[in-house]
Amino acid sequence: MTVRISRVKISNFANFSEINLETGENIVIVGENKVGKSNFIRALQLILDPGLSERDRQLGLEHFWDGLGEDKLGETVEIAVELTDFTDDPRLMAHLNDCVVDPGPPMVARLTYRFQPKANLDRDPESLADYEYIIFGGDDPEMSIGPSLRRMLPLDVQVALRDAEKDLASWRNSPLRPLIEELATSLDADARAEIQEQVNEAQAELEGHAEVVATAERISERLIAIAGEQHAVPLTLGLSPTRVDALLRSLRLLIDNGARGIADASLGTANLIFMALKSLELDRLVTDGERDHTFFVVEEPEAHLHPHVQRLVYRYFLGTGADGEEDTPPLTTILTTHSPHIASVTPIRSIVLLRHDAETNATIAVSTATAPFTERDEADLQRYIDVSRGEIFFARGVILVEGDAERFLVPAFADALDIPLDMLGITVCSVSGTNFTPYVKLLGPHGLNIPHVILTDRDPNGASHPRVRRRLISVLQLREEGVSYRRLDADAVIARAEPFGYFVNSNTLEPELFTGGLAEGMQEVIEEELSIGDGTREELQGWVDDPDTLDEDALIALIERVGKGRFAQALARHVDVDTCPDYIRQALEHIRDAVA
Amino acid sequence: MPLRSVSAAYLAQAADLAGNPGQQAAYDSTGNCVVLAGPGSGKTKTLVLKLARIMAEDVRAPRGAACITYSQECARELTRRLERLGLREASNLFIGTVHGFCLRHLLMPYGRLADLPVPFPLTVATTRQSDQAMKRVGDRLFGVGHPNKTMDLGRHRRSVLDRTSIFWTSEAELAAWAEGYEAELRRTGLIDFDDLVVFGQRLVSEHDWVLPLLQAKFPVLAVDEYQDLGVALHRIVKRVAFDGGVRLFAVGDPDQSIYGFTGADGALLQDLAERDDVERVQLRLNYRSAARIVSASEMALGEARGYRSNDPDRQAVIEFTQCADGLEGQAAHAIEEIIPAALAGKPGRALGDIAILYRDYRAGDVVAEAVAAAGLDFVRVDTAAPYRKVALTSWIEDCAAWCAGGWREARPQLRGLLDRWLGFHRARIPEAEARDEAQRLTQLLWSLRVEEGIARDFVAALRAGMLDALMAGEPSLADQGEQVNRMTAALAVGGALADLDLASLGGRDGSPLHLNLLTLHSAKGCEYDVVIMVGLDLGSLPWRNELPAARRESRRLFYVGLTRARDEIHMLYSGYVDTARGRMRWGRSPFLDELEARMEEAEDE
Repeated sequence: MTVRISRVKISNFANFSEINLETGENIVIVGENKVGKSNFIRALQLILDPGLSERDRQLGLEHFWDGLGEDKLGETVEIAVELTDFTDDPRLMAHLNDCVVDPGPPMVARLTYRFQPKANLDRDPESLADYEYIIFGGDDPEMSIGPSLRRMLPLDVQVALRDAEKDLASWRNSPLRPLIEELATSLDADARAEIQEQVNEAQAELEGHAEVVATAERISERLIAIAGEQHAVPLTLGLSPTRVDALLRSLRLLIDNGARGIADASLGTANLIFMALKSLELDRLVTDGERDHTFFVVEEPEAHLHPHVQRLVYRYFLGTGADGEEDTPPLTTILTTHSPHIASVTPIRSIVLLRHDAETNATIAVSTATAPFTERDEADLQRYIDVSRGEIFFARGVILVEGDAERFLVPAFADALDIPLDMLGITVCSVSGTNFTPYVKLLGPHGLNIPHVILTDRDPNGASHPRVRRRLISVLQLREEGVSYRRLDADAVIARAEPFGYFVNSNTLEPELFTGGLAEGMQEVIEEELSIGDGTREELQGWVDDPDTLDEDALIALIERVGKGRFAQALARHVDVDTCPDYIRQALEHIRDAVA
Repeated sequence: MPLRSVSAAYLAQAADLAGNPGQQAAYDSTGNCVVLAGPGSGKTKTLVLKLARIMAEDVRAPRGAACITYSQECARELTRRLERLGLREASNLFIGTVHGFCLRHLLMPYGRLADLPVPFPLTVATTRQSDQAMKRVGDRLFGVGHPNKTMDLGRHRRSVLDRTSIFWTSEAELAAWAEGYEAELRRTGLIDFDDLVVFGQRLVSEHDWVLPLLQAKFPVLAVDEYQDLGVALHRIVKRVAFDGGVRLFAVGDPDQSIYGFTGADGALLQDLAERDDVERVQLRLNYRSAARIVSASEMALGEARGYRSNDPDRQAVIEFTQCADGLEGQAAHAIEEIIPAALAGKPGRALGDIAILYRDYRAGDVVAEAVAAAGLDFVRVDTAAPYRKVALTSWIEDCAAWCAGGWREARPQLRGLLDRWLGFHRARIPEAEARDEAQRLTQLLWSLRVEEGIARDFVAALRAGMLDALMAGEPSLADQGEQVNRMTAALAVGGALADLDLASLGGRDGSPLHLNLLTLHSAKGCEYDVVIMVGLDLGSLPWRNELPAARRESRRLFYVGLTRARDEIHMLYSGYVDTARGRMRWGRSPFLDELEARMEEAEDE
């Protein structure tokens, strides 16, 4: 376990009026364009980036929260970061000694940046010249935090991965440089002498080669012809430079078995190599004692990386890759992304969602760090999110359904009802069963607070309560407190659930569709998909002619032979407004209104 | 490669330790270590080199070491000697008093979290504020002119840490007074110096979470003059070292414990030294005194310590001299006979190599008057001195030394002066502000350089330039500010130091041309070629009818006086003392009788 950011508070900065966010081990910031992902990073930089100058920390009016309008002067911008899990490392504890705000356990330290009217000003500020910034630890603004802490626990921001190629090309900025320098110092005298000798031999051989000598002589002769013997300097052709250190410095990364330089690599490959070198550099800085921890920020790392590679690279950086790694590196990874591929490999508790709140005209932030997941919930969700490429994080509304049948049919009904799910940012998510609880935890007010509805079957259960009763009670308990459901029958529970957007049919989806007007369409699909005998064909025709005779189990058996998903996909083209079951219509209208 | 942050100058000096097994063992210690250091045994050198080694080899910023010293003056001396090794006080090296340590490194960072019942932000009462509160409460409780002494109040508060114990209530009047006084302070939003240590102790004793934090910041804790520090610090030390895993390096000499009246106890150091998890190192070789003085001191102490002189052949003078006319006569004898002879006795010896030691400031008045009348330059260190040495006055003196010419050879170093200035702020200040202040201060000091200046003008300019603004803005400096005011008053026309020149202000400790006048207590840690002890009569040293514990402490005080000398000890007495009830002919100090008898006995053998 190594130090992590456990909470971020921002007030009056850029897109943010007031956010107070608990965060998990790593942070993956997901949000639409312009919602403030970069500003969130900027806020952290104000406290932790050693590369920012004093001038950078002196804000302009444009950095105050936009919603303040004309009333910015007089307001205070404040950003606070809380850190925890640092008690295993005495060096981190020494750094954070004056910053502790809660002795714990877990012990919590806080760093605060504040841009405020000058303390000794005995009037209202008239311009930003009357403002100052302070960075302090703990609760006491007098406990000023100096640059040494930022140097040793830096926020290291990689903004433009697009420049990887350029950075690799220049020796000064190249992340390759420290590795080569390390290599140079590690060579002992014998090794150096040996290399030098080999190079000298090769040099001599090349210089002495008849063609090379001849060419050099041609140049010399022409030189003499132009300037005369007196002004012409003696010339040979050879390699330069030949000192070992200079040679080492001219080492370059080559690809394709040395056939090509990095400049010829695809942008993606260059980026990948850059990330590998950067990762080595981060390790080295800690080993050499130049840092004790790195908060490693990569903005929009998806740029120019193949989706498959994106997933692999960020699995590595987010520590979700190989299990049983030796030591946790002294690294906290912070990403901003709108790549579903990266979101999909993000540990569920690391997600931070930024979204615009129309009511306050500010960006709000939610996270899953403290959602009440059980371990099984986490595993379920992680699996789902991986398979669905994390689309749930990018949704403005979610329709939770039991299985593939609904997943294909609900969008078709939405089209028929003129509710454009894609345009509204609504996604249909199949939970592959009836366990909605982890999803409601994820999407509910203790999680990401994303509007969502549930569509589920009543599932009668003989003389007992229909199964849906238990199912709904489980999710309702996450939404309302202090309610006893013991005396409520299934219908009463269903009635309670509807205002939350949880809707139930009267039976099971397929029979309901059959009797609700899709009988002929379903007949057509079955006949297309299955080679059925005459007996079955007649039976099916009988149900179509008189839906009251429908044998539900037999119908479902037929559909299962097709495969529920495939069947639904084929049936989708037959649906229209009139055949949409009520509970689906209610759910679609509910979610449409909720995201409006 | 990371830049080397600590000078390696200590390595050269450390080579000297090889000839002294004790010093070498202390220098090489890797665990808890207690160094029992006899007089003149190179205790400070050992401590300084060990600290330098720890900073260079054992810790790396932000982790570091804290060194707690008995007084601000001791801290300053250590700082000065570390500076010569290229080591400056830094955020990971604390050198200061136990009060400073408790304030800055315990109460300020953790006091709020621990919910200590003290008002935040912490404001330390000035001496005057606390004196007035003590008097107010005392008069209210016991009536004006009551016999209880504030010294006893302080000792009671410092030495009985458990307020629920019988020891606290057994002295009912002191307990009531202490509680009333503390309530009075809190009412006005204040704490006092003793509170700092008492609450510091409570903090580390009651809150386990403080220990790893402290260990993280200071994996090493050094304590100098352990025998003079009280039971509260002892508890802090035991707790952080043996429960908190902080490595301890304690130095001291129980024989030189002379602050029992403040609650200090030399036995505490013995207690530490005898633990199994502590390495005990004894320094026996005396580099200071001639052999006869070493053995005479042991006789005076009445304990066999096995100390040896490093220079057994050096000649020594040990004189018992009876003078007529009491203290006045003793002062006259010192001025007319001893000092001229001493100055002539060794080439190069100056007034600064000679000290007159006495028991209290009343005796100091008599001596000072006689010395002044004889036209000798002198430095006086006791409670009647024109001002008390505190961090701020010491800093002014060092600035004076720099401006009076020290800047040429970087003694003291400007960087150190600037760092100490920044340290006067109660909390860390923003970097830009610190840079700005350092720049202004450099300009100010640069402009105040003069060859032949008057101290009065210098202090006035320093105050007007920056110091007054600092004191006004930092309530925590209020107490030290009082001493700065007293310094200014003493330098004013008609004041005690009216004509002091700048160089002398800068050299107010250890100028080679000033005779030293000190109380025995202030002389601790000092050394002189020639020591003249006056007032060695019964009724003065020791007082008459002292209880056994007090008598033992008086004896140690006598021992401290004797062990200050390199070459000569002159013990002056008259056989009587003048008291409020008239002249009392109780005879000379029994310590002299014993010492003389033992010396004769030894010579007879």
